[in-house]
Amino acid sequence: MQARTQEFKATARRELGNALSQTFLSLLPPGFTALRQIGMSSFPDPDAAVEYARAIRAEAIARLPELLEQFERRAIELGATVIWTRTSHEANEIILDLARERGATYITKSKSMITEETGLNEHLREGGVEPFETDLGEFITQLLGRPPFHIVGPAINVAPEEIRDAFMAKAGLKESTTDPVRLGLAARLFLRDKFEHLKMGVVGVNMAVASTGTIINVENEGNIRMIKSSPPTVVALMSPEKVVPTMSDALHLLRILSRNCTGQKITSYVSFDSGPKRDREIDGPEELFIVIVDNGRSQIYQDPLTREALRCIRCGACLNTCPVYTKIGGYPYGFAYSGPMGQVLNPLLLGLVDTRDLYQACTLCDACREVCPAGIDHPSLLLSYRARAASDVHGQQTVHALLRRSLATLLAFAMTHPRLWDLGIKLARPLVNIAAQKGSINNLPGAQGWFACRDLPAMPEKTFRERWRQDHG
Amino acid sequence: MADTRGCILEALRTAVRLPPAPRPVLPLQPELILDRPQLVARFTEELSVQTGVVLRATDARDALRHLTETAKAEHIATIMTSTDSALAPLDLKTWGQTHNIAVHTAADFADREAFRAACFGAQAGITGADFAIAETGTLGIIFHANQPRLISIAPPLHIAIFTIDRLVPTYEQAISQVFQDKHTPPSQFAFITGPSASADIQAIAFKGMHGPRKLIVILVG
Repeated sequence: MQARTQEFKATARRELGNALSQTFLSLLPPGFTALRQIGMSSFPDPDAAVEYARAIRAEAIARLPELLEQFERRAIELGATVIWTRTSHEANEIILDLARERGATYITKSKSMITEETGLNEHLREGGVEPFETDLGEFITQLLGRPPFHIVGPAINVAPEEIRDAFMAKAGLKESTTDPVRLGLAARLFLRDKFEHLKMGVVGVNMAVASTGTIINVENEGNIRMIKSSPPTVVALMSPEKVVPTMSDALHLLRILSRNCTGQKITSYVSFDSGPKRDREIDGPEELFIVIVDNGRSQIYQDPLTREALRCIRCGACLNTCPVYTKIGGYPYGFAYSGPMGQVLNPLLLGLVDTRDLYQACTLCDACREVCPAGIDHPSLLLSYRARAASDVHGQQTVHALLRRSLATLLAFAMTHPRLWDLGIKLARPLVNIAAQKGSINNLPGAQGWFACRDLPAMPEKTFRERWRQDHG
Repeated sequence: MADTRGCILEALRTAVRLPPAPRPVLPLQPELILDRPQLVARFTEELSVQTGVVLRATDARDALRHLTETAKAEHIATIMTSTDSALAPLDLKTWGQTHNIAVHTAADFADREAFRAACFGAQAGITGADFAIAETGTLGIIFHANQPRLISIAPPLHIAIFTIDRLVPTYEQAISQVFQDKHTPPSQFAFITGPSASADIQAIAFKGMHGPRKLIVILVG
């Protein structure tokens, strides 16, 4: 997909003024946290369950090459076709060719972050194959031409009136209604026809089990089961890190994923596909293509630190707890992944230059790391991106970074010398306050960059210690 | 493509290797100690939370009585049924003739297209279930020639009929039977926990998104 990570600040500002987004975002931290806690409390020992999930993901990443080969071998034995692709473009081309060769004028697809990343829909449409998103939230965002707002609820912030208008214009909705259930029914009716006559369907993959060659999909709506049952051809697109060692590992991650994602103990449907349909079966795919798209991950894997980002299982728990995401929502992140997982992944996929605002927009509060069932240390990764960005291509610090460093050294010296510090702030306070307006400082000469997305409260006339001496002295 | 595969795997293989830490201890699932009545209670309770209905039947005749009542209450005239072994004792075709309900199986259709049209047109789908998992009130269904996939996903009502011996405490007991070493696994296996659902508009949850709106389980024995 077209990356818009450079528009982070502008989009964030706009979203802060979007009442609908703000209403939903204000409900996120208490709502999702409670749901998640209720879900997690059904484990006999929730902490042990999280630790175990983290160990599975650590092992999956540590053993990635051999697990991938094992998965491939088993999947081929079962009759699946495994295709390796290096880039988004290669993967998209393969899928477009498969659709064309089979005379498919349209495909239906499941919600899949990897297809967002590769920009599959745009590619298919340009190639003359119409892609239909079938997850209700994705169906809405597709009709409206918007990126996903949240990994679990891509259109959860969209007003029902807007959905009604889009459905009436493009999805055959006859009656004017803003009732979510009736709108859902309209999408159901529109897409049922597509499912029934489907020639080829595209799904993502939640887990690929190395020991059995099985792909697993997790969903509530039934669209994925439709896509994997109705058409004669099914394409599953996955990135390499989706692989897990064994079926029992997959079961544990399943328990963890749904609880972290929506607080459910399990989703309505979990489907395990091991190769295409067998001879006498009347439905299910005659051909199952598993397309593995690397898209830079084998390079991310080279560095033991950035490799950790590949542990992510896309549960979305980090979004719901992030103090930045829960203010600005998913649009500013400008790529397939939003919230802390987007701050960690997007810079690795797109490079550190165009994604600077993403890894800067973090308070290092650690909430994402604590909640992450895959064991990703987001703050450490973001700090490492900042450190790397502060150096030029030869590993030398940039002038800007040197200045900041000198300033920090000066400050540290002053802070460790109380008399010097007292004198310094006595002089600095009135100077700083010259810039104060209505009790806050929005800019200072030479620090425009810092103030671009931050304010400081105006300095009070006296320090706490001065007031204490005055009142109690 | 072979080259691409080689390049990706080679890059992964030659990267610095860090051995994974040993796995921590994971407590056993508490459902493992439940006896059969407790398993039934737990299965029923969990599935009910997802609006699934669990009906108890003493034998095949009683199951058919439940089925007749359900068909009447839901105004069912066309049913698609699998020919799973769990359903054989019920002789659903004869039952359909008696109650003036069109009952079809996959064998009635020449090809995928005809079968799909019938599944999307049917008012209800009847399947067996290979497992009923108490842990979360989940059905485990193995799909094969006699248990086609669309029957449990395309019609708006899914009725699953099976005997009580299919009850197991946790996912693991089902999965260890489905994915046995040295055996070819089924082309598809699925966990089904309630009807299809969505909460994608304004976070308002409702049942009946793309799959069934209702799930009724008839537990025999």
